[in-house]
Amino acid sequence: MVEDKGKEESFEPKIVGFLCNWCSYAGADLAGTSRIQYPPNIRIIRVMCSGSVDSMYIIRALLEGADGVFVGGCHPGDCHYIDGNYKARRRMVLLYKIMETLGLEKERVWIRWISASEGQLFAETVTKMTEEIRKLGPNPLSGKWDL
Amino acid sequence: MVRGVLKSSDGSATNAVNTMLKSLLKKQVLDAVVVDQMVPSGKSVFPSLVADAELLDADVFAPVLASSGAQVVSRLTKFQGFEKPVGVVLKACQMRALVELVKLNQIRLENVVLIGVECPGTVSVNGFEAKKTSAVEALNGGLDSRLRSACRVCKDPFPVSCDMVIGCFGIDFPNEVFVESLSEKGNKVLEEVEGIVEGPVADHDKAVEQVRKSKDEARKKFVDEVANKGTDGLVEFFDSCINCHNCMSVCPICYCKECLYESSVFDAEAYKYMRRSKRKGALKLPSDTLLFQLGRMHHMILSCVQCGLCEQACPVGIPLMEVFIPGAEKAQQEFSYHPGVDLEEKIPTIVYREDEYQSIGEK
Repeated sequence: MVEDKGKEESFEPKIVGFLCNWCSYAGADLAGTSRIQYPPNIRIIRVMCSGSVDSMYIIRALLEGADGVFVGGCHPGDCHYIDGNYKARRRMVLLYKIMETLGLEKERVWIRWISASEGQLFAETVTKMTEEIRKLGPNPLSGKWDL
Repeated sequence: MVRGVLKSSDGSATNAVNTMLKSLLKKQVLDAVVVDQMVPSGKSVFPSLVADAELLDADVFAPVLASSGAQVVSRLTKFQGFEKPVGVVLKACQMRALVELVKLNQIRLENVVLIGVECPGTVSVNGFEAKKTSAVEALNGGLDSRLRSACRVCKDPFPVSCDMVIGCFGIDFPNEVFVESLSEKGNKVLEEVEGIVEGPVADHDKAVEQVRKSKDEARKKFVDEVANKGTDGLVEFFDSCINCHNCMSVCPICYCKECLYESSVFDAEAYKYMRRSKRKGALKLPSDTLLFQLGRMHHMILSCVQCGLCEQACPVGIPLMEVFIPGAEKAQQEFSYHPGVDLEEKIPTIVYREDEYQSIGEK
């Protein structure tokens, strides 16, 4: 753990990204093969569908100290499994509501629809999220050992 | 539909109800009843499957809730439904839980006659003594300071989704008991009961309205006071959790036979624990207690009936209602969902509409 000196300037957000195999992950791949630059702050985990991202994964990432969690899925109507992203959307609404009610920072959790052809959009989204999380500062949960 | 009051011959509402249930068993209108019976020690009531009218000694109004009656019915009907009519007598919150379990395919309702009981609130089962605690006291507000926190801000003390109701509000309790049938099934049962004085029960209806209003107000106030603990507050709130999972075992909604949080998913090699410890400097063990609490909450909160059994079961005394009642209220409001009210109302996370929440995922 790096302490004290120049904490503000040296803060690099750690973002855990859950990307659906069929759209967002392919979008990230396209960004890479097209050599579009985006910040290295996101750590990507490939999942089969945004609908398979249980709240547990998101909560765990935050409790373990991730500064942000990104969930990427196909655009509504385009889900490879027909309706996985619609269910993910409802579950995200539920998670936001719970976080808001308990006073946790829901701004750290993002969900975005990015298709396999939207490499540019993926790069832009990650850039934007990194900036926003940098503004928010480090996740206060990252310093807690008594969870 | 039958609606009226049942007079007690000896000033005991409990006896009036027992006489009614006994006659239903003797006439074989019901083959058995699942009903709260006081155990001989007088320390608690337990849902019991009573087949012999002679052994029926129920205490449906006892102001204590030791375990979930809905969970009991789930176990009874796990492999097959009842072959003959069985009466299931439950307090309002457990009746709501039962409806949620039916939606979750955990209860078979064949031949079940649902008998809901109006509940003036319950005290903690820890230290409960039958001799010192009565429903009359609870009804008159005498137990208010001892009521469980869930009961103080009760979601709804009146059972709604059932075949018939046994009530105590707004009548000459305990000299009479309110009875009403809400379905054809319940009607057939009540028609067999002797001694019901049918007619309008205006004071009861007034009491229902009044009690609901005051409980709603109390709950809103409670939610405003305890919600929004913030990151630090929430971590401290849960940091005495010993990960015993009692809250989960007693929760009527937590029905999974194999809970994720009891599985080996969280077992890891020593080096992974080391890595986690080095990252934060230290790691409280058993680990992942807050993860369990928040994860469990996310899984069951839409069906939460706010019975408060989780809080009562907590050995370290975490006032769980301070988190679960605000969570349930806000989450259920978000989806306009009313757990335990209507069997046809779908649990929000299993359905969706294409044209909803369009701003989610679009910046």
